Amino acid sequence: MITFQSVIITRTTPMKVLSIVLNGKTVTAKMGQTILDLARENDVFIPTLCDSPALEPAAMCRLCTVQVIEGKWPKFVTACNFPLRRDAEVVTDSPEVRQGRKLIIELLMARCPTSRELQRLAIDYGCDLGRFSPLNDDCVVCGLCTRACEAVTGRTLSLAGRGTAIHVDTAFQKASTFCIGCGACVQICPVNKITMEDVDGERRIILHGKIASRVKLPQCTSCGKFFGPVIDLKQVMERMGEHLIPPPNATVCPDCSRRNLAIKLGKRYFEQYGVFEEEGQADAG
Amino acid sequence: MIEATQTANPTEVNKITSPDGLKLFRQELQSRHDPNAPVVLVCSGTGCRAAGSAAVVDKFKQVLSGTGWNGKVLPLAKHTGCHGLCSRGPLVVIEPGNLFYQRVTVDDVEDIVNKTLLNNEVIKKLQYKPANSKEVIEKASDIPFYAKQTRLVLKNIGKVDPTDIDDSILRGSYSALAKVLTRMSPQDVINEVANSKLRGRGGAGFPTGLKWESCARQEGIRYVICNADEGDPGAFMDGALLEGDPHSVLEGMAICAYAVGSNRGYMYVRAEYPMAVKTLRIAIPQAEALGLLGENIMGTGFDFKVTISTGAGAFVCGESSALMASLEGKVGRPRPKYIRSVEKGFRDSPSNLNNVETYANIPDIINNGGDWYKSYGTERSSGTKVFALTGNVNNIGLVEVPMGISLMEIVNGIGGGIPNKRKLKGVQTGGPSGGCIPVPHQIPDINVGYGKLAEVGSIMGSGGMIVMDEDTCMVEVARYFVNFLFEESCGQCTPCREGLIRMLEILTRITQGQGREGDVELLEEIGKFTNNFSLCGLGTSAANPVLSTIRYFRKEYDAHIRDKKCPAGVCKPLFHYDIDPETCTGCGLCKSKCPVKAITGEKKKTHVIDQSLCIKCMECYKSCKFRSVKIM
Repeated sequence: MITFQSVIITRTTPMKVLSIVLNGKTVTAKMGQTILDLARENDVFIPTLCDSPALEPAAMCRLCTVQVIEGKWPKFVTACNFPLRRDAEVVTDSPEVRQGRKLIIELLMARCPTSRELQRLAIDYGCDLGRFSPLNDDCVVCGLCTRACEAVTGRTLSLAGRGTAIHVDTAFQKASTFCIGCGACVQICPVNKITMEDVDGERRIILHGKIASRVKLPQCTSCGKFFGPVIDLKQVMERMGEHLIPPPNATVCPDCSRRNLAIKLGKRYFEQYGVFEEEGQADAG
Repeated sequence: MIEATQTANPTEVNKITSPDGLKLFRQELQSRHDPNAPVVLVCSGTGCRAAGSAAVVDKFKQVLSGTGWNGKVLPLAKHTGCHGLCSRGPLVVIEPGNLFYQRVTVDDVEDIVNKTLLNNEVIKKLQYKPANSKEVIEKASDIPFYAKQTRLVLKNIGKVDPTDIDDSILRGSYSALAKVLTRMSPQDVINEVANSKLRGRGGAGFPTGLKWESCARQEGIRYVICNADEGDPGAFMDGALLEGDPHSVLEGMAICAYAVGSNRGYMYVRAEYPMAVKTLRIAIPQAEALGLLGENIMGTGFDFKVTISTGAGAFVCGESSALMASLEGKVGRPRPKYIRSVEKGFRDSPSNLNNVETYANIPDIINNGGDWYKSYGTERSSGTKVFALTGNVNNIGLVEVPMGISLMEIVNGIGGGIPNKRKLKGVQTGGPSGGCIPVPHQIPDINVGYGKLAEVGSIMGSGGMIVMDEDTCMVEVARYFVNFLFEESCGQCTPCREGLIRMLEILTRITQGQGREGDVELLEEIGKFTNNFSLCGLGTSAANPVLSTIRYFRKEYDAHIRDKKCPAGVCKPLFHYDIDPETCTGCGLCKSKCPVKAITGEKKKTHVIDQSLCIKCMECYKSCKFRSVKIM
């Protein structure tokens, strides 16, 4: 009853528009909009490391920290997840903010000097890279892979350990059996710490030189090559619900499937002109 | 206890079905209780238990059953919560008469029973003598340690048996809940708490009434959670409260639940407090059996169920959002959200989280009114605060003082001053997130309150108070706390994780004599950055110990870095001991104490330390009566 009423109230009250002073320029923002979102709408650049438009913000890298004045005092907040709820002033590039960002980049560069993104930012912010001794960990602990994994399968990769020992790992440090080999973690990793390879009929996700998961690959019944991972349909169905797309025929590799289709079409349209000759004995796919 | 009541008086296990029933039950208990019957109260707080108080209680019970006294209504010997004066444990108080015995061992028990209990004879050797004085003090209430305290929250601790609910009811527990359920509306309760100006005792000092009001305004299922994840090094207030008087905390939670409109409560206790968990596991079923918790409390139709949940040893789980994540069964990491937990907390529902001590204050505020509570303390910080006084002070223990009391009064008056004729150098408050207050040299004295402590760069925190004498190296103190936080950081956000490693790296370097010019400036830069940019309360206060020691003890940092000297004689590579030939009398005490035979010298002639053998264990320094062993 109560929830029903509150739904009606939110529908009838017009969406409140906020007036935000963004770096000295007055702009309008929607109620609850994040600062990062507003800044992007207004072409104000705020650097980010752990942000992905497809995922919930985690505010872990803290690089997007900006200063907000809602009442009397300016406070430091992360732009990616700070919801604007009243009129405020936002400063995205004050000297304090720049100084803090510079330190974040310096500290992360000491941990992971190979990141191109960080190298670029280090030049922008004029970082002194010699101040901290290298840790050479190769991971910036942005948590993107774990959040992407959570969104897809929810159970393969997660952040383990605490403090400086925090790292991305599988459950009990063993090769995961829940992985579907989708490669989302590999795609999203900004420092290429996670790699993927298809060898000996299995797909391996390699994390920090260790095999994090092995997923069996199906063999093409036509050409004998291994292709794409077999996706656990039950899991997909659980997640997709009614929007489930009928499963593809998973016995033929995409290459053969495409070739077979070409042959079929060729037969249909060109056979009558006598120009088409069947060359192989490929199965219909 | 329940079984005992059942056999003694079978009609009584009936639930209390009305608020008046509680009054009748208390009258019934009072009629059976003889206030003049002798009672032996043995402290079973953590400190005394470690010193063997459990065996003392058992021995008392055994001896007393032999004297044929056990037919009385009250058990003659009972174990209670922490009496407070932990450094003199195991403590025994004999009522009536308030006779105070310290350092009681199993062998003293028979003497106490035969002499004191049976013949009213006082045993001299067990009586309290203040440090630097030979005069014995007979009564507990006359000992300065107790006389100078104001015990409101701790009033039942040391008096009641925490495993016996009758004992607590006899002293008035649950009467505030009865009052609330019969005569007050939820809004009245909130108004009363707001009027008392009680501020959260967990450390941040958020006004409790305001928190309850904003929680009550929310819709949907609300939760009442008690934060008993007290992890500060040197702090034991919450543990002592739960071990000594669990019912006032439970009552406070029930009153809060009534005020905010909740009927589910969670008690999040740290796993390192097994005694507190054990006491709660006894207390909650006892209260439920009497109808004082659980369903249909006192027949009023109000339900409130409390569930105990234990942590898994993470300091960060004392942070509200990490605590709630842990309570949900997730990893105890703070949530990156700018939404307060009274709006969206545990299970995304409105949750009211308060500290143990905050809840323990509530019953008294309801019973006596907010104005009465306001009469204690100062304008901005009302009421009393429990501190765990530790470090280089004579009387180590649990103290409760009104807000606004002078810090020197706590250290010298209640704490009894600094032992071994050393001088006071500073007081660290607020645990690892707090700061060092340089009393009495740089700041003569300060009044303890939320605002005043913040002004000098420290915080109230949950109430840890570590007294430091002149033999404390401030750089080492900063390193110790940073190391603690470095191990306890959850590691998800960059400033806290990376900032703490670097601060620890630099501080370790300085204490090992490899400090460089510019290290202090770098520490300040990282410290300010960590405090501004971190995600949760742990990170945003992580640099406080470093920043406050730099602010007040910059000279010590410079001595370490420039002169490669540790003036306090703590950082081993940075000092050596030497014997002053002018004052050395050649008594030979240091020679006999030295474990590596590095000290040589004939009797009545100046002794000499062989630096190549010395391991800097401090034994000669501590043992020298003439302070001839100098730190060079």
